Order: sequence, then structure tokens, then C-alpha cells
Amino acid sequence: MISYIYDGSFDGLLTSIYEAFYAKEKPTDIIREEDFRENFLVEKGYIKTDSEKARKVYSAIENKISPESLRRVFYAYLSELPDSGMIILRYLQVGFKIGSDVDLNLANEDVLNMDKISRLVGKERHRITGILRFKKIKEEILYARVEPDHNIIALVAPHFKERLKGENFIIHDTKREIGVFYNKKEWIVKDIERLDPFLVKDSEEIYEDLWRTYFKAISIQTKTNPKLQKRNMPMRYWKYLTEKNI
Amino acid sequence: MDKLKKLEILSDAAKYDVSCSSSGSNRKNKKDGLGNTSTAGICHSWSDDGRCISLLKILLTNYCVYDCVYCVNRSSNDLPRAIFTPEEVVDLTINFYKRNYIEGLFLSSAVFKSPDYTMELILKVVKTLREKENFNGYIHTKTIPGADDLLVEEVGRYVDRMSVNIELPSENGLKLLAPKKTKKDILKPMGFIHNNILQTKEDKKIFKATPNFVPAGQTTQMIVGATEDNDLNILNLSESLYKTLNLKRVYYSAFIPVSTNPKLPVINSPPLVRENRIYQADWLLRFYNFEAKELLDERNPNFDLELDPKCNWALRNIHLFPVEINKADYKTLLRVPGIGVRSAKRIISARNFTTLDFFDLKKLGIVLKRAQHFITCKGKYFGFNDINPEIIRSQIITPYKNGKDTRQISMFDNVSFEDKWMEIGGEI
Repeated sequence: MISYIYDGSFDGLLTSIYEAFYAKEKPTDIIREEDFRENFLVEKGYIKTDSEKARKVYSAIENKISPESLRRVFYAYLSELPDSGMIILRYLQVGFKIGSDVDLNLANEDVLNMDKISRLVGKERHRITGILRFKKIKEEILYARVEPDHNIIALVAPHFKERLKGENFIIHDTKREIGVFYNKKEWIVKDIERLDPFLVKDSEEIYEDLWRTYFKAISIQTKTNPKLQKRNMPMRYWKYLTEKNI
Repeated sequence: MDKLKKLEILSDAAKYDVSCSSSGSNRKNKKDGLGNTSTAGICHSWSDDGRCISLLKILLTNYCVYDCVYCVNRSSNDLPRAIFTPEEVVDLTINFYKRNYIEGLFLSSAVFKSPDYTMELILKVVKTLREKENFNGYIHTKTIPGADDLLVEEVGRYVDRMSVNIELPSENGLKLLAPKKTKKDILKPMGFIHNNILQTKEDKKIFKATPNFVPAGQTTQMIVGATEDNDLNILNLSESLYKTLNLKRVYYSAFIPVSTNPKLPVINSPPLVRENRIYQADWLLRFYNFEAKELLDERNPNFDLELDPKCNWALRNIHLFPVEINKADYKTLLRVPGIGVRSAKRIISARNFTTLDFFDLKKLGIVLKRAQHFITCKGKYFGFNDINPEIIRSQIITPYKNGKDTRQISMFDNVSFEDKWMEIGGEI
């Protein structure tokens, strides 16, 4: 039993895939360093991230399977779920056999697992484009905090860049302590250990009150249905939701 | 009056409008502009009644010259009134949009002074948003029945979607409850919008730069349960709206008593289950290739409240079942109760690689509670020994009746979780 341990980067994951394909003894787990728990029975195989090997795997997926398959692998990686590494490996083993039609083969368990995990990330990406809330802070910056299950802020960044191209904005993932910064031209992802408290001072504002008023008034009281509301908008997302966090 | 109070009054007055969809348009952002639209639409929140909030849905004013019995804004109703200036609506839209509260604006209005006057105010709002503010998010407006065609056309050049509410599904209903609105008043602008959409499409083939006209199409809404009209009348009307005027959607709203006028029926609670059944049937028309006459007829003009319309149809046509999952074509699969559009596609795609058995279906995430009675896998039937509509019916409806289904929503006593979800997901 050997567990591959990688540094958590996408290149690191792809390097692990490369090693796994050429290894005699296949890994029983591929896991990020920070998720690894010591286990007496398990042999540790540290994978050194190698950008050349990663590049080979990357283009092999894109060309020999499909760009869609590459997207799925990337989404599965962003899920940060502990079993994502092995799901990706097993999926790619099937993928290199079948080729571009692999994603249609939903009766295959490995393909199905990949379908589920990448769909999960895609779903949250879509959800966050809706329930993320900006507030105006100092210097006319739009600032949003989110705590998504999966690492999706880089996936929503292009969406907001397109809409708010004339604004400066920050999307702060408080769970992972990273943020998307956009300056009316381009966006980057940076670590945020602590944001200047001067900046995040809760100054907002009349529009937040207006929004809460609207939110309350638009509901039909005789049809009140908190279960339906929570199913559509799970409570774990309410923390930074202007209308629910009063 | 301050903005907060106005917003409270004028969103409260707009809440009975069901539509809040922001889909169907792919407007791009422009240089130095704000916003764009997403073809699939985006929900930004869900209000306490569980409905999606996608747009800032408000009335420009609830001062009304009409006195329609069913309507909360009727002139004889004693309630607080307000009117927004166009600038206020623009300011709210822009600032809500920047904070990602909304996809855009859904502007409607009571009839203030005259239909033309009201329509001009609406025009001012959308024109300012598009031209002065360079706003490219979603805009849906109502047309005011009786407003001049030229105004309707001009508004249509700026917005993504327009709607004219039919309100009541028959002419008699209108006469009784909305005497100032006639069928002609309502259908005329719908026809006008339809023709303009077609014309714009034709023009675009020749001149690519032809300005858009209502690119996300038109929708309408009608009230269920305020008049004697049965489900068959309603469904026939919807079907012809989809076929002849190419409507994107027909919305239904269960009648909620907002007054005690003797012309209105006396009910204790809104007919929500009935509304849900009609929505399901509407879905069958639009995505499942059903026709209204297959679902209802003169002998059975109303839906069974205990059973969804597709199950009901299947049980009345039991001779068509069971179907073999590995052979049935897409259209046939779609007609199996419990198999929706997504499930049917997944089945078709998976069976290219392997012959599916019952457990494969489970793995694919197909809900078998209803489907099992109507299918075979590799020739094997998984329901009861005998295909008997009576027994199947009792099997399908019992779990909801004895209250074991813990996911059930108390307000919808006969509606399952899946039923409620269908409204959104469309898996029937």
C-alpha cells in the first residue's frame, strides 16, 4: 500500500498521475500534503512536482481524450475532496482507453464518479455567481467574502470581470485565505492573510438596507416555505449573505 | 416619502407576478459598460416563500385607474400608494447590480393616468439604463395593455424580455373580474411583439447590425382558481400560445384572495397543488412532446391532484408499457413516469457502452420509485407481477398519504419533494 503525497498544486497532482502510470506498484491513494494523516500501514511516496511531467500529462489529456475531459479533471482537483486524486487517476485510466467518448460512458463507475465530482464543483461555481455579495469599501472597491466548499474563486473571477469591468473588486475566500484582485484591467489570485481592517470596516450602507427591505417585501406570506428556501440556498452560505445576515 | 418606504410598497405590490427568470438572452457587456446576461439565467437569492429572486421586481407605481376585482392594486382598495421617479429606479438597479444582488430589472406598473403615460415612464427608465448608464444586464418589462404600438416597439428595442399578462384564462373571466380589459387589448400587443420578433430575426439575416428586439422572447401569466375555468381550458390556451405566438413561457399563479368581492370564489387557501399540476403539464408540453389533448379531455377536464399528469397519462395508457430501457428511443423514454430529460439523455449515452440493468439505472441517479412500474431492463420487469393500473396507482400515491415521507412540506400535503423540485428542474 503506497500513498502518493503531493504539494497541493495542480502541477503536483498531474506529476502524481504521471508517476502512477509508469509505476509498477500503483498507488492506493493520491493525497494533498495537508490532508495526509499518518498511518502505520501505509507507505509514503512523496511526489516532487515536476512541471515538465505535468505538462506532458496536461497535453495528453487535452489531445488524446478531450478538452472537456481536461476541464473535468481540473474541476475535480478544485473540489479538494480527499478522494479526488484517486477518482482522477481511475477516470484517466479509462479515458486513455476510450478516448474522447469517455464521458458518455456513465455506466462505468469511474466515469460516473468523475461526472459527480466535477458536477459538484460546477454547481457551486454557478451558485456563487448568484449568492456572492459585494459591498462598497474604501477607495470605491467592491469587496466580497465567500466560504465555498470547493476552491472556486478563480472560476468565478472571469464572470465578474466581464460584468464589472469598470470596477475594482476583491473576492475574498476566507476559508482558504486567498483572494481574487481585479483592477479594471486584469485579475490575479493572491494570498490574503489579513486584510487591512481599515478597508473592511463595515461602512455600508443604504443599499444594504434597501436590499433587505426588498427581500422581505417580495415574499408572499401565505406561501412561506423555509424548507424550500433552505434547499435552494443552504444555510452554510448565509454567513455573508446581506439579506440573511442582519 | 423616502426611498425605503417606496421600495417596500412597490415591491410588495409586484410580488404576485410569478416570473423572475433572467434566462434566454446573451447580451454582451460593452466598452465601459456595466453588466451582461447569462443565457441560463442566475438566481441570486431565494425569498422566504422559497421562490428564486433573480431580478429587482418592482412596480413603477401602484396608483391605478382601473378597478379589477382580483387585483390587489385596484383603485377601490385602501392601501398605501407610491410612485418611483425613473431616476430612482435606475439608481436602485445600478447599485443593486454592482453589489451582485440581482441580474437586472423587472419593471411593471399599474396604469397611472393612462396606458400611454405609464408606458412612456417605463420607456424613460429602460432608455436611461441602456443609453446613459450603459447598463447591459437583464431587463424585463411589462407592456401596459392599451399603450400605443410605437411605444411598445421602442421599449422592445431596449429590453430582453417583455410580457403581457393574460390574467384570466377566458373572456368570460375577464368580463366578470376585469371589465376594463378585453381579450383584444391583451392579445393585440402579444401579436404585435411576436411579429416584431419575427421581423427582427428576418432583418438580421440581411443586416447584422439590426437592433435587437426582445431577444429573450415574451412570456405571460394567468391566475388559476379565480374563475370557473377548468384545467383543460387553461392547458389548451397555453398550448396555443406556445404554438401560435411562440411564447417562451406561460406562468401560472394560484389565486390568492386579496379581496372579499362577491364575484370572487370563497377559498380557504390558494390552490397550490392545482397550480403545481398545471406547471407539470406545462413542462410536458414544452419539453416532453406531449399535447394538451393527450393529458386531459372533456370527460376528465381537471388534473388528478394526487398524481402527477405524466403518471396519470401513463396509467390511462398502460398498454404502451412496460418499455425496455435498452431499446426504447429518446421520445419513448421521456414518456416514462420518473424519467426526465436529463435521465433520458444519460440512459441513451450510457447504453452505447453496456446493456443497462436495474442497478445501473440506480447508479445513474435515476429515481425509480415511479419508473420501476413502467420499464423492463434486459427484459426483466421490476414492478409487481402484473401491470395493473389500480395497484400501481396505489403504490405511487401511498407514501405521500401516510405521512412517512419526512421531506414533505406541510403546506403541500399531496405534493412530494420531487414534485416540487420539478418546477425548477423539469425532471418528471
